[in-house]
Amino acid sequence: MSPTDSLNEFVKQGILSAQQAATIDRFEREKPLSLHWELRSLLYGGILLLSSGLGLLVYDNFDQIGHGALLLAMAAGCGACFFFAWRHRPDWMFEPARSRSSFGDYALLLGCLLFLTLEGYAQYAYTIFGTRYGLVTLLPAVLFLPLAYRFDHRGVLSMALTALISWVGVTIRPLELYVKTNFFDQKTVYSAIVLALVLIGAALLLERRRIKPHFTYTYLTIAGNLLLVALLGGLFNFESVRPLFGLVLIGTCVAFDQFARRKRAVDSGLVLFILMSAIYGYIGITYLVFHYLDFTAASSYYWYFILTGIGFVAYLLSQLPNRKTTNESV
Amino acid sequence: MKAYNDEWIYNRELVRQAERWHKRGLLTDAQIRTVQQNYPQGFRQTNGILEVGLFLFTTLAILGTFLLTTTLVSGLLDERTSFGTVSVVFSLGLGGLGQQLINRRLLYRNGVDNAVAVLTAGFLVLGLLMFLPENLRLSTYCLAALPILLVALWYYGDTILAFLSLATFYTFVFNGMLAFSWGNDALPFVMMAVSGGLYGLSRGRWLVGGPGGTLTKAQTYYADPINLMESLSLVVLIASGNYFVVRELNGLLLEPTPDRPRFAEAPEIGLPALFWLLTFLIPGACFGYGLRTRNRILLSMGALGLVAAVATLHEYAAIVSFNTALTLGGLALIGIAVACIRYLQSRPADQTRGRFSDTPDDDSPAGILGHADTITAIQASANAQQGPKEGVRFGGGNFGGSGGEGSY
Repeated sequence: MSPTDSLNEFVKQGILSAQQAATIDRFEREKPLSLHWELRSLLYGGILLLSSGLGLLVYDNFDQIGHGALLLAMAAGCGACFFFAWRHRPDWMFEPARSRSSFGDYALLLGCLLFLTLEGYAQYAYTIFGTRYGLVTLLPAVLFLPLAYRFDHRGVLSMALTALISWVGVTIRPLELYVKTNFFDQKTVYSAIVLALVLIGAALLLERRRIKPHFTYTYLTIAGNLLLVALLGGLFNFESVRPLFGLVLIGTCVAFDQFARRKRAVDSGLVLFILMSAIYGYIGITYLVFHYLDFTAASSYYWYFILTGIGFVAYLLSQLPNRKTTNESV
Repeated sequence: MKAYNDEWIYNRELVRQAERWHKRGLLTDAQIRTVQQNYPQGFRQTNGILEVGLFLFTTLAILGTFLLTTTLVSGLLDERTSFGTVSVVFSLGLGGLGQQLINRRLLYRNGVDNAVAVLTAGFLVLGLLMFLPENLRLSTYCLAALPILLVALWYYGDTILAFLSLATFYTFVFNGMLAFSWGNDALPFVMMAVSGGLYGLSRGRWLVGGPGGTLTKAQTYYADPINLMESLSLVVLIASGNYFVVRELNGLLLEPTPDRPRFAEAPEIGLPALFWLLTFLIPGACFGYGLRTRNRILLSMGALGLVAAVATLHEYAAIVSFNTALTLGGLALIGIAVACIRYLQSRPADQTRGRFSDTPDDDSPAGILGHADTITAIQASANAQQGPKEGVRFGGGNFGGSGGEGSY
């Protein structure tokens, strides 16, 4: 629908004078169309394609002429990206800061991605880290974390965090809704839980000190999901400690839920944690119920889903913002 | 009589529009107060994130109830009729109960009512199809389901129902065409014509507009379904003219013969030159027309279509390897984006060709793309670290991307 339609209505009701309506109409017709997000998406798409392409290309034609040149070009590109980002770096402060160039953030992102590819290739071709595979994933984390803070870049922060997570043995690919891990291994589960707790603790501490408090959401989303997935993994796979994992999972969900409800007025994005707690908690509880209770009739399963479904709907409905009519908001 | 109070939806849109103008200083404080008082709305507020959970849990509870109902009445009649009857009765009950809930709890797009709308229509369609004989053509079932879906869409104005109606309609056309001996050859042209028609319908005032150019209640009630129709019809229009889609689909539709197994390479199609032309011409025209009329949807769909066209060209006339193409494509996209951003930033918007700007405004889809940086970074770092991998190949999934291929 066009704004002109609303304008005509307002004029008809006598809220706007014809002259004012004409001004607004001219404004609507002459205002520029913003392509900001479309062009940023194009840029992100290009970076995604380029880094994937180069990531595969370095392994082609492994021992042919031209291969060295490609590596050299990538290293030069990586250096150029970091140099560009550094030249336009934002001022250092604890509050959100922006690069002085529109492209600074993107150059940094591309530089980091190229670094990952080069590092992976160096290990593949020259095994520079030997068999210390942990080092291969830890190094980017150690490099990216300070970069994220210096350049105030949430994308690089999340790369650092995912590198840390893959260091304990979990791979995440959000676009493929895919998490790869080995949660049959007790060590992986416990490392993931410890790492998640450390990250959450660090995030809350940094927020209290007001050091880049806008990073808290990224920390909590990544570490929170890691923690809940790891707890579910433990619940499914470790028979001997299952009740314990169940209790901890429910406790964590309640804690996240309370946290989100208390802080959502400050950061509305935290509502995500209410949803996360509900869904992870529901999966956990349902698993425990079906595992320990013996439902003989099929109808008892149906009753379970009906009653719990209604219960969760009622709870989530109560968490919607209070009804606010337009009159009251004035 | 519709599911939601259309007065409130209408008022909500007017107030939203007025608040935008107020923010720019085009309306006075007194005026915006008058608007807010004259156009009240009473829906409960919603939240996009909680909506997802509400939809899931409501669906769970409703499906549980349905399964429970079927076990209670099983064995009364023969299977198809009893299942059909139960579904229809259940659907009517659900619709009635849902309406109570919508009225009492002032729901509008809260997840609960979306689930009720979709499942009410779904069970009704399912139940009525049970009364049709088995072994009819798929297109016949679609034709039977379409009126029910359209009535449900008229009643609820729900976006998912709009998607299901469009998908059913396209499946009807697609499958219906194959009933004719010449249908296979004419299929791309019919799909293009139908999509063009749907697009025209979504842009015109004929469907929901009123006389004299004032905002109508129907326009606000069906704003989302009409936007979906606009995008989806463009996706199908562009895909139906795309050489890759036409050739691969044609290959899939051919009966396998002894010398040509089912999953062999798709053979050359008739009129290849025409389809190569359309592959570039349709998205190019969308893009060009979008530039001239400053239409965001035409621009985005045209751009995606052009990317798909280049990918199609690479698929059949590969000059370079897949990995090189990915790299060069990435470089090209970055180059285009950087050039456009620099151009738009270098001068005021009224001096750019076509009055575009790089400053974000209220129409920008910030919600969806707000976290694009995080998602891209994590995804790309997983890609960058994956090491040597075999068998990566360009697939049909690269086209469009809005799920418009659901009908194929």
